[in-house]
Amino acid sequence: MTDLHDSAAAWVHPPAAAPWSIRMRDVSVRYPNGVVALKNVSLDIEAGEMVSVVGLSGSGKSSLIRTINGLVPISSGTLEVGGRHLETARGRELRQLRGEIGMIFQGFNLARRASVLNNVLVGRLAHTPTWRTLLGLYRADDKQIAYEALNSVGILAKAYDRASTLSGGQQQRVAIARALAQQPKLVLADEPVASLDPPTAHGVMRDLRRINQDLGITVLTNLHLLDLARTYGTRLIGLRAGEVVYDGPAATASDAVFETIYGRSIQHEDVLG
Amino acid sequence: MSTLAPLVLPPKPRGRWKPWLGLAVVLLITAVTLSPQWGIAFSFEAIVKNWQNGADKVLALLQPDWSFFPRTIPPLVETLQMAVIATFVGAVVSLPLSLWAARLTNPNRYTRGLLKTVLNAVRSIPDLLYASVLVAMVGVGALPGIIALVLFNVGIIVKMVSESIEVNDAGPLEAGRAAGGTQLQINRAIALTDAWPAFVNQTLYVLELNVRASTVLGLVGAGGLGLLIDAVRTFYRYDQLSLIILEILVVVVVIDTVSASIRKRLV
Repeated sequence: MTDLHDSAAAWVHPPAAAPWSIRMRDVSVRYPNGVVALKNVSLDIEAGEMVSVVGLSGSGKSSLIRTINGLVPISSGTLEVGGRHLETARGRELRQLRGEIGMIFQGFNLARRASVLNNVLVGRLAHTPTWRTLLGLYRADDKQIAYEALNSVGILAKAYDRASTLSGGQQQRVAIARALAQQPKLVLADEPVASLDPPTAHGVMRDLRRINQDLGITVLTNLHLLDLARTYGTRLIGLRAGEVVYDGPAATASDAVFETIYGRSIQHEDVLG
Repeated sequence: MSTLAPLVLPPKPRGRWKPWLGLAVVLLITAVTLSPQWGIAFSFEAIVKNWQNGADKVLALLQPDWSFFPRTIPPLVETLQMAVIATFVGAVVSLPLSLWAARLTNPNRYTRGLLKTVLNAVRSIPDLLYASVLVAMVGVGALPGIIALVLFNVGIIVKMVSESIEVNDAGPLEAGRAAGGTQLQINRAIALTDAWPAFVNQTLYVLELNVRASTVLGLVGAGGLGLLIDAVRTFYRYDQLSLIILEILVVVVVIDTVSASIRKRLV
């Protein structure tokens, strides 16, 4: 995969009008099976920050990121995203909030049989009337947004290919384009590179950094690899057993910090290289 | 290795006797249904006793009456028309219902349960019974046959396609939800494309079933070849019956072959 598109000129989107901040107060998440994923988490994330959330699997970092767009309901506490209360939002209000928040998943989560373009157009659902979706009649300007999003991650040429025919790295870029097509105020990425090989992983992480730096969008990324967290985040939040055990600058977080977060010594597998 | 402590095995999963219990129950039920007191009157005696009778019929069946061919064409065409119309209508009705009946595409447990209950009822009634009731309601001809087949088709397609949706990956649908789509939008934009192969597959299968089923629906007056089969059977014209059976065989083989080649291209 080439990184020729890694120039600011490739970004056609205007910078996010006003990127969103996140305010969490005493947020707890308890699943129906009794597992407590988050315990009284309070966090302030400012608009335009690039945050890495690290922790071992089961530490609650996936639950943390999923509460921010309401995919995981919070059991107690308050959560403001972009100044709006998410914990009480339902129906249309919740969908509109989600429409402003892009999300990138570990498993890409593309409709495998659909074209790349139609996958990216999923990012326009919140702004499309239902009858248009049912008839498959997307607006011309929505399509234009989708093409531009694909262009900005360098895979416009694949627009009409079936999603399943693309490589893993390309599929994740389609997923990033889908999030960009939302013209988001905030981007959440849940282990975005865990299914990718090292060079591809760095490419995807660079894309996320450009979303933050060039478009000014707030980006929260779950990672379990400490070098990626240090390199690409400006702020590091460490989770262990559902609690925030570290919150500070990413670049200066020492190995000792990671040992605190992981509750064990640093191992070879904790680094991507 | 020998210095290590002996292996501590996890406790064995419970309930491993359950498959054996299941087998015992099946054997018991079979034994009961075969027994003279409670079961059906099944015996090889009747087959042996009536052997001569059966042999005559088989002999007649082996000599098709080719001159009967022209008279079989209109009812054969009617049978095929019934099958195609019923498949088309059944498929169109089934597609939205399939999405409605699957948990991934309809999270509301109550509306889903309601639909599944109705479909179970629809499926529990055999097509021949539908046809005989419908003949009484709308009269003799192809129409009651088509309606009977549509009901039969919806029961099958919705069950099979909704079950295939359940095993599809939920991730893409979650991505649609995360992007702020409504369930209907998500179903149309994401679930439908993934469910499409299963849907086309079942529709082709149902077309095959319909060709077979529509040949017998005429026995109760619901149009197609069945009316003719009933007529020749009443006059013991087994030579003509065998021609009809041959024609059905050819049609079924042709449809099997065509749908198999479509399926191969599909995935």
